Amino acid sequence: MQNKGHFGQFGGRYVPEMLIPALEELEKSYFKAKKDKEFQKKFSYHLKTYAGRPTPLTFAKNLTEKLGGAKIYLKNEGLNLTGAHKITHCIGQALLAKRMGKTRLIAETGAGQHGLATATVAAKFGFSCTIYMGEVDIVRQRPNVFLMEQLGAKVIPVSFGNKTLKDAVNAALKDWIENVDTTHYLLGSVVGPHPYPTMTRDFQSVVGREVKRQIKNETGKLPDYIIACVGGGSNAMGIFTEFIKEKNVELIGVEAGGKGKAVGENAIRFNGGSIGVVEGYKSYFLQDSDGQIQKTHSISAGLDYAGIGPELAYLKEKGRVKFTSATDAEALGAFDILAKTEGIIPALESSHAVAEAIKLAPKLKKSDVIVVNLSGRGDKDLFILAKALGDDKFMDFLKSYINDDEQNR
Amino acid sequence: MNKIDKRLQKTKKEKRLGLMTHVVVGYPSLAKTFDIVKIMEKNGVDFVELQIPFSDPLADGTTIMKACESALKNGTKVKDAFDVVEKLSGEVKIPLLFMAYYNTVFKYGTEKFCKGASAVGIAGLIVPDMPIEEEQCEHFDKYCRKYNLKNIKVLSPSSTDERLEKNEKVASGFVYFTARQGITGAKDTLDPKIQIYLKKVKKYFSIPVAVGFGISKREHMRALQQHADIAVVGSAIIEVINKSKDQDIEKNVRSFIKNLKMVN
Repeated sequence: MQNKGHFGQFGGRYVPEMLIPALEELEKSYFKAKKDKEFQKKFSYHLKTYAGRPTPLTFAKNLTEKLGGAKIYLKNEGLNLTGAHKITHCIGQALLAKRMGKTRLIAETGAGQHGLATATVAAKFGFSCTIYMGEVDIVRQRPNVFLMEQLGAKVIPVSFGNKTLKDAVNAALKDWIENVDTTHYLLGSVVGPHPYPTMTRDFQSVVGREVKRQIKNETGKLPDYIIACVGGGSNAMGIFTEFIKEKNVELIGVEAGGKGKAVGENAIRFNGGSIGVVEGYKSYFLQDSDGQIQKTHSISAGLDYAGIGPELAYLKEKGRVKFTSATDAEALGAFDILAKTEGIIPALESSHAVAEAIKLAPKLKKSDVIVVNLSGRGDKDLFILAKALGDDKFMDFLKSYINDDEQNR
Repeated sequence: MNKIDKRLQKTKKEKRLGLMTHVVVGYPSLAKTFDIVKIMEKNGVDFVELQIPFSDPLADGTTIMKACESALKNGTKVKDAFDVVEKLSGEVKIPLLFMAYYNTVFKYGTEKFCKGASAVGIAGLIVPDMPIEEEQCEHFDKYCRKYNLKNIKVLSPSSTDERLEKNEKVASGFVYFTARQGITGAKDTLDPKIQIYLKKVKKYFSIPVAVGFGISKREHMRALQQHADIAVVGSAIIEVINKSKDQDIEKNVRSFIKNLKMVN
């Protein structure tokens, strides 16, 4: 099924010749490391002692009873260091970059979560670090920019294109082209040219292996459904991979339904999108009839992306993963229910997966089991949430905070 | 005979460095694209590469990227590129090439794109993100050959011997070598190692060599004269356009090219 990074007709390595030697070097080093027991041992060690793995699988008892259908379990990836699953592939890639003798890490970031995780591993493993972030995203996600800078990273605003994630990817790739000798590009999802989709999936697949063990302990069987939100697809591939061969486990990906069906109002690649070749890989993209990438929208910056991992496109084509979507409003509703019933504040990305579980559970038997990948926690969304929920007191707090500061100057 | 081969015979006979210049279709407008290409020919340019604007131009620096953005904002469509070339073909004799990112070709339909390009008078395609490894899925080279288009391969200082060897097997017309490891954009000085790189390239390629990326001055042209067959000037011309008032674009492009050509 997989040949030079192809997943059926998807994937590949569509890059200018000047990037090919670097990608070949990365591919070779990665597959060597993959087989090296010492490397794997080191990776597991840091996941356990630094990132906080294994993350717990939590039975959402109150939510299950409230919905009155299938049992819902939450894989709480939000308990990882930096608050999301991203740290896992960042540790993997940082260890690999070290092996390759690189001294600098660069990355793109949308919401700032991947940038934060990259800045974290750069600090931990001794790399200098540059993060590219769209100007629009910098405005939306100032707290993460601040944190990245505290971790010693340089955050560079990207002022071209839509000034969001895809433009940050372009900027990072250009930096990599110019600094390939010293620099590893720590790509943040299961997208981009080979070997990134495969490598990131492999690192993340620890999530699915943990779930398999944990759910068997809890219920004595495999889950009937696994639900994950899908931006690029790293958390989804992380939890799905171990179960692809288990034909009785239904896998569901949830895309961002945004605020409407019109172009630019959502990020549903498997509805409005078509096959294209962008950012070095072939997959589904939201693009016009000339192949120009279109604007996307989601309340969650992590799902606000025009492309989707090539392996997910392949699994969708084969009918192995089903795709659905949740709107901004549904995600906010799911956020609220989960916070109130389970005492867990999910990231807005993960809230999309919760929204699907809320729709699905009541239609299922009580003996059915759903696992939801709670890819991150919601602390990072504080400002967006306060605004979306119309919390005047939070806005008053911000105003008085600024006023106090000005008076004290 | 393909127009590119013919023109290369001419520059060789005249024992001079050929000049390929670059325009972004629809920048600053379609009408200007048409006029600028005509001026280029009139002032001794040997080849013109017309870049079809794309939303995510991976190998381009700020200058060309912003020109693409502006062309798209003006409403430039892929079809406009074909139309403008069709119109130009009746008026200019020098070979015209399309530079495009692969998504533009793929989305149009790879065979349809090659067939259409050939029909309007395009002589070659430069598609930097269509590497030889993907040929099996895309049949890009196959359709280039079928429709008598030169498949111009772009190589760089980071290209290993293995990559040079592999690309030599498909490259046709000339090979485009980037003067530095990086993205497009005018620079003050050329990489001093360029001559060493070019020697390596010539070891593998018997077809002529074009050098681009960072070429903006007469001195650069002079430095390349003994080592390359074609100099490619892209961003520098767009910068001339950027700095010109609308009515001065033609005049300024003309004097810029004349100045470059004084090397011969």
